[in-house]
Amino acid sequence: MIPISARYDCDFAIVGGGIGGLMAGIAAKDAGAERVIIFEKCHPLRSGSGAMGNDHFRCWLEEEHGPLEDLVRQTLASPIGQVRDPLLLRQSLEKSFDIVKMWDEWGIEMRPTGKYEFMGHAFPGKPRPTLKYNGTKQKKVLTDQAKKRGVEILNHHPVLELFKQEGRIAGLLALDMTKEEPSFVLVRSKTVLLSTGHTSRLYITGPTPAYMFNTSHCPNNAGGQALGWRIGAKLVNMEIPYRHAGPKFFARSGKGTWIGVYRYPDGRPIGPFATKPDIYYGDITGDVWNTAFSDVLRDGSGPAYQDCSGATPEQLAFQRKAFFSEGLSAMVNYMDDKKLDPAENAFEFMPYEPTLHGRGIEINERAETSVPGLFAAGDMVGNGGAGIHPAAYFGMIGGQNAAADARNLDFLPLEENEQVQERMAFYSSFAERKVGPDWREANFALQQIMSDYAPAGPERVRTENILNAGIAYLEQMRQEMFETAIAPNSHTLMRLAEVIDLSDCGLAIMHAAKARQESRAYHRRADFRFTNPLLAEKQLNVFLENGEVKTEYRNKWK
Amino acid sequence: MPPVIDPALCKKCGRCADICNSHIFYFNRDAREVPVVRYPEECWHCDCCVLECPAKAITLRIPLPFTMLHVPSNTLKPRS
Ligand SMILES: Cc1cc2nc3c(=O)[nH]c(=O)nc-3n(C[C@H](O)[C@H](O)[C@H](O)COP(=O)(O)OP(=O)(O)OC[C@H]3O[C@@H](n4cnc5c(N)ncnc54)[C@H](O)[C@@H]3O)c2cc1C
Ligand code: SF4
Ligand code: SF4
Repeated sequence: MIPISARYDCDFAIVGGGIGGLMAGIAAKDAGAERVIIFEKCHPLRSGSGAMGNDHFRCWLEEEHGPLEDLVRQTLASPIGQVRDPLLLRQSLEKSFDIVKMWDEWGIEMRPTGKYEFMGHAFPGKPRPTLKYNGTKQKKVLTDQAKKRGVEILNHHPVLELFKQEGRIAGLLALDMTKEEPSFVLVRSKTVLLSTGHTSRLYITGPTPAYMFNTSHCPNNAGGQALGWRIGAKLVNMEIPYRHAGPKFFARSGKGTWIGVYRYPDGRPIGPFATKPDIYYGDITGDVWNTAFSDVLRDGSGPAYQDCSGATPEQLAFQRKAFFSEGLSAMVNYMDDKKLDPAENAFEFMPYEPTLHGRGIEINERAETSVPGLFAAGDMVGNGGAGIHPAAYFGMIGGQNAAADARNLDFLPLEENEQVQERMAFYSSFAERKVGPDWREANFALQQIMSDYAPAGPERVRTENILNAGIAYLEQMRQEMFETAIAPNSHTLMRLAEVIDLSDCGLAIMHAAKARQESRAYHRRADFRFTNPLLAEKQLNVFLENGEVKTEYRNKWK
Repeated sequence: MPPVIDPALCKKCGRCADICNSHIFYFNRDAREVPVVRYPEECWHCDCCVLECPAKAITLRIPLPFTMLHVPSNTLKPRS
């Protein structure tokens, strides 16, 4: 058995030191929580999707956008709005500018042009929903703020499992991977917040099938939704695929930072929104029709290019600076190295493989999940929206509420929890076995099944038969992985634990996709081709109850 | 290999290994040798190690399949 190297008791344990997790730690301390520990898979200075920077912060400012309801309506009508609960969107937008001011005060550059300016992701002539900022220092600033308040951060400590006792959260099991030899860390915690980011690596990597870490968002965020799923937390919107788009074949988020126009090879714009480069609006076609880039290949009218030629030198200089704020320095360095000047070259774009981005754990307005004492925030949440602003907001709310709840709670005795021994023996078995498939084989096997049996539209369809076959194949693959996989050191055990989580997410997706008997967005059912208007105001939950997968619809929270 | 460390510049401080979000380096704190790029295929090509290295000893080599497909902008016009 892998040994336990440390035990901790805390009021509030946070899983993931990304944007949501750091904000939760800061807010919990400000709200009076005593011991707060962040368990981080990597290192909070450079982990997660905000590791290098971001440059658009969605927020509401009355002077800019008019009444809050106008922006709420505009967001709900957009592709990113469809999966949200209006209640949570309204609540988070209402307080969004307070976070902007707080970040500005802490030293994150929220006014890189000297004043608060809204840019990008906008329809011409309409209010621009995102504030332009420079996020290159955001992780350092948030980490410093958390530490300053006494939040403890354990780096290289991915969380493997959560435990429930007496119907509420009781603690967690983490892996100490600071050494070659793995060890466990067992934690009793009165409250827990999950903020492990979106989930990558479920599907065959679109741009480079042989390189599964070439992803638009951080590839090390992989399957965290499963930590909640295994203890019965409800998931939502798992069946509605999310597909990001960007440059081909170097997968990178950040398309809103490009100022050019998407064009056909004959120079015509592919969408109706832009005809020339513009730093304030960009070309929103890529947001509202992000499979455009493969649609135009399928119908023969493509490829589609992002074309910045025609921009003034000032506009191009602005874009270059913005690429750095957005965390795209690797891409800019590559372009410089290859002498690819955007003034003279147009870049082909493509849609990437599906990810769980803003799909996953359901939270309420306290950022609490359906498991009492378990909170969640950020890209792993299924009904609160993805991106910097919801991660920061729900992290903050979750931290405040967890701190308040922890004051009235006692620790639950983890020693009596049979699951603890069972899960430690389970993870230890991989370290003890000498021969068998490693995490990489398991990850590729999973990706093959997901890509063929729970595929995303618009190119591919799902049916009940395809999904039933997929569930059976995935169960077989999981059984074989559980019984034969090997993980000779702490690094490979961390990766194998990710694949186990990913495979749970895969099952949740397939069961939810089976239950949604209609086509909606990129969930295309060949046996239910229509979009059912009666389901427009409903959310589909998928969850485990006594070991069985359950699904149920509920009304959207207004 | 994605990150390439120049051993002549490296100060053997281990910072790259500490902050890499993909854990791709192996660094033995006791031996204090130049970190080994142990799991190169897990690199996200995020640039964080390059940005954090105090000695500017790291460069990123982007693999050939990641090529950014492009055409000269002045070819985007109707064909006669
Ligand atoms: C290049 C790029 C540009 C972007 N630009 C923008 C933008 O301009 N505007 C915008 O709104 N959004 C943008 N995004 C998205 C934005 O960065 C994310 O939405 C945001 O970081 C989400 O925060 P989070 O806390 O949910 O997750 P993250 O910040 O990704 O953090 C997740 C954390 O959890 C850790 N973790 C994962 N699993 C475990 C585990 N099992 N145990 C312990 N720790 C774990 C990870 O290491 C990581 O630190 C961009 C993303 C990228 C990649
Ligand atoms: S951060 Fe730079 S100097 Fe330090 S060990 Fe890594 S390569 Fe060497
Ligand atoms: S580029 Fe990023 S993922 Fe690759 S080695 Fe450097 S820090 Fe790690």
